[in-house]
Amino acid sequence: MVKDRVTRFRWFWAWQDEKEEAWLGEMSRRGLHLASVGLPCFYTFIRGEPRNMTYRLDYQPYTKKEREDYLQLFRDAGWEHVGEMAAWQYFRKEAAPGENPEIYTDIESKVAKYKRLLGYLLILLAPLWVILIIQFGDGVPYPWLSGIKIFGFVVGTLLLYAAVRVFLRIRQLRRL
Amino acid sequence: MARNNLDNYLPLTESTYYIMLSLLEPLHGYGVMQRVEAISRGTVRVGPGTLYGALTMLEKEGLIVKVSEEDRRKSYQLTDEGRELLKKQVQRLEIMAASGRAAHMAGK
Repeated sequence: MVKDRVTRFRWFWAWQDEKEEAWLGEMSRRGLHLASVGLPCFYTFIRGEPRNMTYRLDYQPYTKKEREDYLQLFRDAGWEHVGEMAAWQYFRKEAAPGENPEIYTDIESKVAKYKRLLGYLLILLAPLWVILIIQFGDGVPYPWLSGIKIFGFVVGTLLLYAAVRVFLRIRQLRRL
Repeated sequence: MARNNLDNYLPLTESTYYIMLSLLEPLHGYGVMQRVEAISRGTVRVGPGTLYGALTMLEKEGLIVKVSEEDRRKSYQLTDEGRELLKKQVQRLEIMAASGRAAHMAGK
């Protein structure tokens, strides 16, 4: 018997949302439809008939009050909200062949999405660097502290790299 | 609250312009999407992401207000300030269209 629920592990970086959308669409065309998103990089799919689904990811950290208005707009426009993960909103819509539905229909609003993401990355980044700078001045009073430092340094570098990639994406969009 | 100079909002993006134009009368989000497509004669379609961002911004800036809620769908309408801004945008567009037309005729 073929299993009807399939879990896949796949990692996407914060600036690879379009790649992720394309991958999810490809899975649907192979009959694997996203069922839920939860932990980062774990995707649960339900097996079904192949369908031509367009997936779109929005970055929208809404409050509870704003949530209903936000989701209602997408529902009315024919988009199904599949789930959310750390303010990333997963939507999908069945598309006719050759049709390419979009949730963002102009450059300015697309730029605004990446600016929200960039803002979030910078907020995460700020305290990390402050801690690192303070600690570097201290020497190594305890051996375990250097482990934390290295971890912090790696995370900080990744966040910084992600922020740069998102920033470049904004620049590229603005040049279009 | 003291208001910014309305000129700072100009020029509006094409989407925001049509969204505001469709909110001369109260309308909910989905109605805005349909009306934008109709009044722009199919040249502009507004996706829900773009619309949500525009409505949020316009409301925050006091250019539109929520007027009612039905079936969880909120209706918005332009404020006086919003109307004033829209008028200024129309004036700019008229100049653009007229100068473009004149240049086009001369070039012909």
